[in-house]
Amino acid sequence: MISSYLVFRLSGRLFGVKLLGAIEILPWRGSRPVPLSYSYVEGLIDYRGNIYPVFNLTKRLGMSSPGPIGFTAGQQAQADAVQSIILLEENKTLFGVIVDTVVKMIKLEEPGPDEVSGTTQGVDAKYVKGIANEDDQEILILDFERLLHAG
Amino acid sequence: MDEGTRFLILALASENYALPITRLMEITQPREIRKDPNLTELFEGKFEFRGKLIPVLNAKKVLKISGKPGTTLLVVKSMKGLLGLLVDAVIEILETEQKPVPMPKGVMNPSLRHYSGILRYKKNLVLLLNEEGLLP
Repeated sequence: MISSYLVFRLSGRLFGVKLLGAIEILPWRGSRPVPLSYSYVEGLIDYRGNIYPVFNLTKRLGMSSPGPIGFTAGQQAQADAVQSIILLEENKTLFGVIVDTVVKMIKLEEPGPDEVSGTTQGVDAKYVKGIANEDDQEILILDFERLLHAG
Repeated sequence: MDEGTRFLILALASENYALPITRLMEITQPREIRKDPNLTELFEGKFEFRGKLIPVLNAKKVLKISGKPGTTLLVVKSMKGLLGLLVDAVIEILETEQKPVPMPKGVMNPSLRHYSGILRYKKNLVLLLNEEGLLP
């Protein structure tokens, strides 16, 4: 089955998320922090009458290391300059994730739940649905439903 | 006529929080807070209020916000009795017809009951404190 995916860049690596409903992409301007929240929760934002929790994907995906090997200090500085927030809906739950840049939309054959185990180059594989290849670049397709479950 | 609900807007470090005004007994200054070794470190001690000693919670410590204990003492009614709450400042009383928005799922451990919702205040979000949930 062919589906649409939004591809974004985070810490020097490409990720994709399946588009189910409407999404919004906004410049990142910070959020309202929530003391005692999970460590990967950046805060809350109020957008068009809805309150969205904002997740820090780098922390959520367990990407403690600064991206792939060969990542330079300059790239790191660039990666630190967080730029956009993607607002999504998954199973009627609204949430936002912070990304460095939104790259493009692509259509892909839905990746099977196979062959992804352990860690996927520093990304916790339990949140990775599959790996797509596009223009010789690897795109990790994320499972946002899992991402929303605490733990 | 619906009169709306009134909330006290207060500050802890650089963010604002709210408390239902119906829970508030008094806003005062913390003087003579007596240390009490039987209380946990979330408490600054005990304070005499209308002839009774009431425990004083350091709201920042409860929410793990860094910084010194606040210099404004709120006396708050909770189901477990009167409670002192040290905060940085009181901002104003907000009268609003808003219903607090529940905390979205996935933000914090559901067993934590420190907030009873979210309110909009001057283009910002404020967290509504749950006086019952602040107590250890």
